Amino acid sequence: MPAEPAVPGTKVIDDPVAPLWRGVVALRIVTFLFAAGAVIVQQDEYERAWLAWTVLGAMAVWSAVTSRLYSTDKGRKHWIVIVDLLLTCGLMSLSPLILSDKQLLEWNTPLITTIWASVAAVAAGVVGGKRWGFTGGLVVGLSTYLSKGQMSVDLMRDITLLAGAGLVVGMAATTARLSAVRLAQALRTEAATAERERLARSIHDSVLQVLARVRKRGLEVGGEAAELAQMAGEQEVALRALVAAAPTESTVDGEVDLRPGLQLLATPKVQVSTPATQVMMKSGVATELTSLVREALSNVDKHAGSEARAWVLLEDLGDEVVLSVRDDGPGIPDGRIADAEAEGRMGIAQSIRGRVASLGGTLELQTGPGEGTEWEVRVFRKGALT
Amino acid sequence: MVVDDHPMWREGVARDLTERGFEVVATAGDAASAVRIAKAVRPNVVLMDLNLGELSGVDATLMITGELPETRVLVLSASGEHDDVLQAVKAGASGYLVKSASAEELVEAVNRTAAGDAVFTAGLAGLVLGEYRRMAAAPDDAEDKPQLTERETEVLRLVAKGLTARQIANRLVISHRTVENHVQSTLRKLQLHNRVELARYAIEHGLDSEPEAER
Repeated sequence: MPAEPAVPGTKVIDDPVAPLWRGVVALRIVTFLFAAGAVIVQQDEYERAWLAWTVLGAMAVWSAVTSRLYSTDKGRKHWIVIVDLLLTCGLMSLSPLILSDKQLLEWNTPLITTIWASVAAVAAGVVGGKRWGFTGGLVVGLSTYLSKGQMSVDLMRDITLLAGAGLVVGMAATTARLSAVRLAQALRTEAATAERERLARSIHDSVLQVLARVRKRGLEVGGEAAELAQMAGEQEVALRALVAAAPTESTVDGEVDLRPGLQLLATPKVQVSTPATQVMMKSGVATELTSLVREALSNVDKHAGSEARAWVLLEDLGDEVVLSVRDDGPGIPDGRIADAEAEGRMGIAQSIRGRVASLGGTLELQTGPGEGTEWEVRVFRKGALT
Repeated sequence: MVVDDHPMWREGVARDLTERGFEVVATAGDAASAVRIAKAVRPNVVLMDLNLGELSGVDATLMITGELPETRVLVLSASGEHDDVLQAVKAGASGYLVKSASAEELVEAVNRTAAGDAVFTAGLAGLVLGEYRRMAAAPDDAEDKPQLTERETEVLRLVAKGLTARQIANRLVISHRTVENHVQSTLRKLQLHNRVELARYAIEHGLDSEPEAER
């Protein structure tokens, strides 16, 4: 876990796997008591009882040390867990010296570390996830095999349980960390949205009102004031579009709201109309459609004259989305598009038609001298660009 | 009557209207006093800003149009044409105009509103169209959902594409009056549905007994 916050000025959220660490500490204490009980029961049969008590003492010290370490962020380190594993295996490997041959081979007496050894494997899972947990379990299991000196059904079972426990705890730790990250992300988004709304409100209450007023009065006064008014008007529309356009957030399945991108295209001469509710599209399709509309609008600018106004309409019909771009310019004379296409020129012909085709949509064009131009693009939700 | 929390706007709009021969009978800076004053002076047209602070212009619109059937509300908002505009229209406003509209546009809109016509911008048409489709797509209580006729949808789409009533009349070969009627009817159905929904909600939640009960 990083001790420093990724973003300066923020607070590190409590270690999401802290409860698991507390579990490790509890397990360590409980299993130590178990090991102590085992030594008391077995001491008369031991080959070297003094060594048993020495190892138990070492286990007590190590239990105390790790309980302390695992209780704070600073002690929850990979290398400490590795030391834990090695020390556990080392103590365990003294078992052949302590246990008599009979105990070791015939009576199936537990090794000196007993189930206390499993704690290191669990800690590995907590610190590093499922791979670490699984590997930790295998290491402890292997060490058990080496200490016993022979394989048995019981030993197989122990190894499986150790590796399995490490794996499951590791998965739990990973899941806890992931959900903590997701939660932090959600909180950030929420904070950003709230801040945005606050900004939007204050912009609406102050700047927009003044700009609108300047524009209105300026146009009435005329002359130089009218020029200023026009500039104020442009800024007003741009600002309103910015404030209105919600941040584009994609959902888990890669869909975005098509509206904000379109709303940013609004200018004093371009009106963008959308539903009040979100129009979700695959983000690739949304980007394509937005740049398509931008292309159509720049085409209006180029060909329909600087006085022409344009309207963009977005409709959501459920299984399909309809985008219309209309201008009130002079219209495209018959055959102009076909000519352009024949000459292999880019522009509307290739660009718009090609894009609509690649989205699997249909394009309708209505135009005529004096009638303006109207593009209507229909894109189906299913089977669209993947 | 002019309702706006921004004094500069309130005075400015009132002056514009007075200069052009309208009588501004009252002004108000917040929703509560707007409702109170409107009930007292009974204006023909209320110009309503939507951002009024605690109680919004939407609430004020709902209360004014509910109590004063003769009074029409024209929303004048600086914000984009979004949910709040749609809500105001559903609450009973008969039209919407951006604040940056010219004085001439404002005068025309007020005149039309006074005459009982709906003042539709392309943006508002897009919102209303979207709202009908949202309701049609929603799976719940299918029985009394308002629906647009084919003609109404056609007219609304053309409004949303920026055609004037006259252009629409020409294109569909119907009279100018018929276009106006279609547009109005789309609004009225939406408002009626909204009132029914609100009443049903109030009855379900036991809020219908005393309208003045809330402090």
